[in-house]
Amino acid sequence: MTDDPKPAEMAVKPAPDPIWTRLSVVWLVPLLALAVTLGVAWKTYSDRGMLIEIDFADATGLVPGETPLKFREVEVGRVETVGFNEDLSSVRIGVRVHKDVAPYIDAAARFWLVRPQVSAQGISRLDTVLSGTFIEGFWDSTPEGEPAIFTGLDRPPVAPDPSKGTWIELRADDAGGLADGAPVLYRGVTVGRLQNLRLDETGSGVAIDAYIEAPHDQRLSTTTRFWDTSGFKVSVGAGGVNLDVRSLATLVQGGIEFDTYTTGGTVVRNGTPFRLYRSAEDAKGSIFGNDVTDPARYTLLFDDAIQGLERGAKVQFRGVEAGEVTDISIRLRTDSVGTRYAQQQVVISLSPERMGLARDTDTAVVTEFLRAEVEQGLRARIAGVGLLGTTLVVELTDIPDVAPAVMGLDAEPYPTIPTGPASQNDLSASAQGIFTRIEALPIEQVLNSAIRTLDSISAAAESEDIRKMPGELTGLLEELRTLVEGLNAQDAANKTIAAIDGVTEAASSVLVEIEGLGDTLASTDKAAQAVAEMPLGEIGQKIDGILADLRGMLGSEDAAQLPRALSDTLSETAGLLADLRAGGAAEKLNGTLSATQEAASAISGATDRLPALTRKLEDLVTTAEGLVQAYGDRSAFNTEMLNTMRELRRATAAFGSLARMIERNPRAFILGR
Amino acid sequence: MSFLTAKDAGLTGCTRCGRVWPEGTADCGRCGARLQPVETRSLQKVWAWWLAGLIFYIPANLMPMLRTATLAGAQENTILGGVIELVAHHNYGVAAIVFFASILIPIGKFLAIGYLALAVGTEARIGNHRHLHLYEVVEFIGRWSMIDVFVVAILSALVRLGFVATVHPGPAAAAFALSVAFTMLSAQSFDPRLIWRGERARNEDP
Repeated sequence: MTDDPKPAEMAVKPAPDPIWTRLSVVWLVPLLALAVTLGVAWKTYSDRGMLIEIDFADATGLVPGETPLKFREVEVGRVETVGFNEDLSSVRIGVRVHKDVAPYIDAAARFWLVRPQVSAQGISRLDTVLSGTFIEGFWDSTPEGEPAIFTGLDRPPVAPDPSKGTWIELRADDAGGLADGAPVLYRGVTVGRLQNLRLDETGSGVAIDAYIEAPHDQRLSTTTRFWDTSGFKVSVGAGGVNLDVRSLATLVQGGIEFDTYTTGGTVVRNGTPFRLYRSAEDAKGSIFGNDVTDPARYTLLFDDAIQGLERGAKVQFRGVEAGEVTDISIRLRTDSVGTRYAQQQVVISLSPERMGLARDTDTAVVTEFLRAEVEQGLRARIAGVGLLGTTLVVELTDIPDVAPAVMGLDAEPYPTIPTGPASQNDLSASAQGIFTRIEALPIEQVLNSAIRTLDSISAAAESEDIRKMPGELTGLLEELRTLVEGLNAQDAANKTIAAIDGVTEAASSVLVEIEGLGDTLASTDKAAQAVAEMPLGEIGQKIDGILADLRGMLGSEDAAQLPRALSDTLSETAGLLADLRAGGAAEKLNGTLSATQEAASAISGATDRLPALTRKLEDLVTTAEGLVQAYGDRSAFNTEMLNTMRELRRATAAFGSLARMIERNPRAFILGR
Repeated sequence: MSFLTAKDAGLTGCTRCGRVWPEGTADCGRCGARLQPVETRSLQKVWAWWLAGLIFYIPANLMPMLRTATLAGAQENTILGGVIELVAHHNYGVAAIVFFASILIPIGKFLAIGYLALAVGTEARIGNHRHLHLYEVVEFIGRWSMIDVFVVAILSALVRLGFVATVHPGPAAAAFALSVAFTMLSAQSFDPRLIWRGERARNEDP
């Protein structure tokens, strides 16, 4: 019997329950939830971006938490706070900007408010009517620094992205028909827009920003000129009525156009000021280029009348167009004695560029330059230019031997430039030219020819043919005597008086003719030329022949009778004159001469009778021609004689010159002295 | 009034068909379901889900629930912000419903579940039935908290009028849905049999 030893009773305890075995896996869920929540919270916090502050004049339509900040129309932030700056002078907007954009917002960033705009040009940003005002920003693509406070623009900029074009500033006297948003045209193509029409700093004009888009801004140079093409242009001419409308847009909202007429300009930078001209003609014709600063102005005081000078007339500086007349008025002055007298006050503006100075030269520098010039004799004067000398300009030129004068630097409103006498006009200049021509005529040669002619005449007088002449000549003189008697019988004395009246009238008409001196001088010029071209040599030779014949004739026996016949004729003439005297011709003549003006009515009758007298002479000539015919054509004498007779006829025509002589000294004519 | 609990009798009740089996039986012989012993260890699950639900409830209230984009601009509303806005627009009824479904019920659930879980084993004798009622109410009402999520889901599905008006669920919607789901799980993982665990202690301490 064995007692099986029982194993010792085991102490049975539940196995130690480690805490991790008692933990449920479900605990992972809240851990995960916590992790996720914390993660989301941290991400939200870290992504919430940077707060920037922008100062605006007002906060119309800005709602905290709602108003977005947009960059290129993409929302990059939201207005968080709307408050005031320290002195309540502007509204300070706090904007929470997205984290990835924030570094780019640097000092170059610009902000402005976008609101709906309803104007004559149409409606813009209509979307903002419903979505509300928002803040638009623009900044470049290089992240630099991050200033926390910005100042918002009062109005949207011309172009958000300035790198895509060039913006310039235009200055004009008034805005005309221009409005914000008006197009900028280049050869009719819209290449830009106008914006920010405003009064300039001084209020004396307007300034407009113009934005020229990128490829077209290369057309700009500093010599480019801009002009206004607003509205439409109507011109009436030979071709009918011409209506010029640039485009409908320019009709409604105005517009400007530009072109570059001259080379030599430099590249245009942003903000370069340009002058805006009223029209294309102005732009082309203006001498002031693109100077936007006021040109230097000066006052000229003229004692003489300056009739014909107009506003806009050119001012020439030593022959170069350098300015224009901007104003003409009268200024009353009082001289040392106390007498008041009027002076013409002419205001001119000068472009320094045209006088050899830099483009933007200060007025004071220009004045100093002119002061030095005036000391050396520079004066202003009125001069006529153009074909007839009728277009007047102001000349700034050196006048030799001029009395010293100085500029009135303290004069109001502008400094004065001393003036000189008006320059002579073109007419006198051309007359001078004619005289110079006459002076150049070969007078010496003509005289030599005349001497030779006289020599020839004496030789001709000794010829056989001429010796036969006296007999015939006596007959001729007989004829003449009967003619004179006929004249006597026909109351020639009164006719002569009438003739003298006619002569007087002719003389006065000559006086009238002198008025047309210009034309006369021109014909004189031509005549002088013709004279120079005349074959004087030939004429001389011919006269030679005549004179030789004459000499021969004078040496004949018949010639001896000639004096007697002549003396008969002269006695007849004396008788005629005695008759004339008896007829109270002298008194009548004197009366006539003293009352020349009243004589005018008597002229026409006398002129009617003059042809009768001439006819008589013609008859005489015809007779002489018949006589010459009798000689046949065997000698040269015929032609020469004929010429002589014709000369006689011409002499009749030359009565006018005789009349003039009578006009001048009637007593000498009558008394033979 | 005294009870004899299954635990006191050395039995384990089947949670599915209700038949009791001796302790240690693995499977219910009638319905085949696995028999779960009544253990305080199961409270861990309750607390874990409860905590997860509470964690998600914080962003659900802080983050925007709805993103409404209309012509007049975009708007984001949190739950409480939406309620305040509704009140401001004098929609008191709707405001009350939203406030009740989205704020009172979830918070009440947290409190109720926390109270039940804490009361296990230490609760007073009286009130067990009330605890059971509380538990049943929590289980029943829990699903109604999802009304907010449904509203957001339906709105964002229906209101898609292009640029005129669109509604998008905010991040809070997901957080709120998770929070509700976790509290429902928390309520579900609570073993109501634990409510009666305190009886033995009372019986043993005469």
